[in-house]
Amino acid sequence: MGKKRRGPTLDEVMARPWCYYCERDFDDLKILISHQKAKHFKCERCGRRLNTAGGLSVHMSQVHKEQLTEVENALPNRAGLEVEIFGMEGMPDDVLKAHQQRVAAQFHQAEVERQATTGNPPAGGSAGGPPAKKPKLEAASDLKKRLAEHRAKRQEAIAGGSSGEGTPIGAGQAAPSPGGYAQSPQAVPVPSPAQQYSYQQVASPVYPTFPVPGGQSPAPGYGATPPPFPQQQPPPAQIQSPPNASAFPPRPGSLPPASNLPQRPAFGVPTVNAQQMQQMHMGHAIPSGYANGDATHKTEVSSSVDDLVSGAATEAAAAKTAESTEKPAKKDKSKPTRMIYSDETISPEEKMARLPRYSFVPSHKNTVLGELPAAVVTGPIRDSDTVIDPTH
Amino acid sequence: MAENAPNDGAALELGFFLYHRVARDMSSNQFTVASPPADAISALKFSPDPDSTRIVVASWDKNVYLYDLRDENGAVGEGKLLQKFELQAPVLDVCFGETENEIYTAGLDWDVQKIDVNTSTQTVLSSHEAGVRSVVYSREHNIIISGSWDSTLHIHRPDAGSNPDSLPAIIPLPSKPFSLSLTATKLVVAMASRALHIYDLKALALLSAQADGAADNNKVEVEPWQRRESSLKFMTRCVACMPDDAGYASSSIEGRVAVEWFDPSPESQARKYAFKCHRQTAEDNVDVVYPVNALAFHPVFGTFASGGGDGVVALWDGISKRRIRQYQKYSSSVAAVAFSGNGKYLAIGVSPGFEDGKDDMPEGVVKIFVRELGETEAKGKGAK
Repeated sequence: MGKKRRGPTLDEVMARPWCYYCERDFDDLKILISHQKAKHFKCERCGRRLNTAGGLSVHMSQVHKEQLTEVENALPNRAGLEVEIFGMEGMPDDVLKAHQQRVAAQFHQAEVERQATTGNPPAGGSAGGPPAKKPKLEAASDLKKRLAEHRAKRQEAIAGGSSGEGTPIGAGQAAPSPGGYAQSPQAVPVPSPAQQYSYQQVASPVYPTFPVPGGQSPAPGYGATPPPFPQQQPPPAQIQSPPNASAFPPRPGSLPPASNLPQRPAFGVPTVNAQQMQQMHMGHAIPSGYANGDATHKTEVSSSVDDLVSGAATEAAAAKTAESTEKPAKKDKSKPTRMIYSDETISPEEKMARLPRYSFVPSHKNTVLGELPAAVVTGPIRDSDTVIDPTH
Repeated sequence: MAENAPNDGAALELGFFLYHRVARDMSSNQFTVASPPADAISALKFSPDPDSTRIVVASWDKNVYLYDLRDENGAVGEGKLLQKFELQAPVLDVCFGETENEIYTAGLDWDVQKIDVNTSTQTVLSSHEAGVRSVVYSREHNIIISGSWDSTLHIHRPDAGSNPDSLPAIIPLPSKPFSLSLTATKLVVAMASRALHIYDLKALALLSAQADGAADNNKVEVEPWQRRESSLKFMTRCVACMPDDAGYASSSIEGRVAVEWFDPSPESQARKYAFKCHRQTAEDNVDVVYPVNALAFHPVFGTFASGGGDGVVALWDGISKRRIRQYQKYSSSVAAVAFSGNGKYLAIGVSPGFEDGKDDMPEGVVKIFVRELGETEAKGKGAK
């Protein structure tokens, strides 16, 4: 009479080997390694499967004379070649921790959900487990009661500014980790604190961001103007739009009702009104929507200044200021740059043409014939000159 | 054997070696073309004919070089120099004409010339009032367009030079044109001050036909089909049109490439974007930004290659906005890139640029590389 396994225990789940590049987990380390060889370390030219990204890089450069720039099929922020991964070896600590936290959170979430639907005790506890068999379905009244409780908790969470402790997933998310796991698949709770961490989502392994060629990842835009707030809570400092939204500041009108958004505990910014906020941004801190993601940003700014004018005036002002101060701003935030060629009016060729060794003064083409090497003059070339030259 | 690096020959195991022999068709093959120019390369073009393997190269050493990758038996190999034509001054641009035996040149001698390869004759089509930076030939409309630092375009018919009545039409521009590129129907002129004009070729062709005998040296004011400002903040370095006539890519001296569409509708204009490339981080964590000297679209896949002052050539998928691949750094600045008419070869002109500020050119630094592209080497990967 084997006991019926309800599923893996937390330890079992945590012990599963998983792939750094795509976050997939596997039954066995061997399978993980063969997965990595097939999916991430395979040479797309000749199909050879290498053991590591470094190995593939060497192979590509020696055999195909190419430079490997990123690991294939990897999550956007994991495609780098700096980390040498083999199976589970070489995994950076922060990534590992983030993954473990995410797995644990998912596990607990699933656990809670299962408990809620089945009424069963947590899996994997004592081996014998309490055999109590309960009816699988809750009575309708119970369900309603729980729903009401849940709603109350949610209201409370929204109104009271507690960062969603009411929802189980929130507990996991309250600890921001570099890896970020804001949008785990189960994270259904409606206005979950996920949005608070939308900035981290850029770096999240789970949330696909659109890769811009050139490598920089576009950051979500910031809205600088807080929407009208119904309650006398300290207004949220900023509303961050989710990363898939346009990189442009959302207009107040297009924002979801503010009451749906939870508080932002992490920023701890007290009461800051819109003006102050803007000043802060224009002064030193740069809205990241402008400072990076330059590719999208640039075209957007140029194409939509008109839109802006018709939109909220403050926003327009902010955007224009950002545009005009963009250059120093960018340098503050990103790396300083040094341009190899920086003349704005003279093209490199013109500059080169001025070098003495290239100097050519058309001495109006009458003496030119003599300068021509005889070997090249094979046809009636120059006599057409005088006829053609439009200046004469 | 050329696909295997010569320096790791000893390290190759036999099995590995055989494996690659089998996989040879998939892997790319790079070779250098013999007898390269003696001085910096200014332009490099493949013949647009699908089966032609001819390359023409313009150089600051005042010569135009014509190479063919095929040997006498028609086998594609190292490539050889067919002919060399000496001009009076450094040659700044070159292009093929109606056939692969016609070449047009633009140079510091202010002249636009036609070279007949078979007879080795050079004919001056017209003279500008300053150095001529670019020349392009439109097969569809049978006209030659040159752009000069005297801030004009000259539109020539091929019989210019031989027929004294065939005078070029002169189109004044607001700034010096730095780069020209053509599609079947349009001409894109990238100029100084970040100006950019798009002309309708049909109008230009008509104009050149009617221009004869017009007053004032055939100077004609033409309204461009579109006037644009570059979406890049710095000086435009190069412009290249998409083979499907939908838009163009432009590059600047500040390590950046923009991709834009012709269609003036807001939806199409909203698709335009720009991205950084050809940058390197120096030891002191400073981003060294190189000019993007060259752009070329693949005639079949519609992807494009960029060549920068950093000596890097990268292939991009402009639609899915992804880098397809990046080749190993070349020894010096990439001056020009070009795809062959059938898209099977990528030629890369490498020469130290003016940006290094060096005054003398050491021997053997100017090189022409040709990559034989694998079946899908330049093909876009599609969105992730």
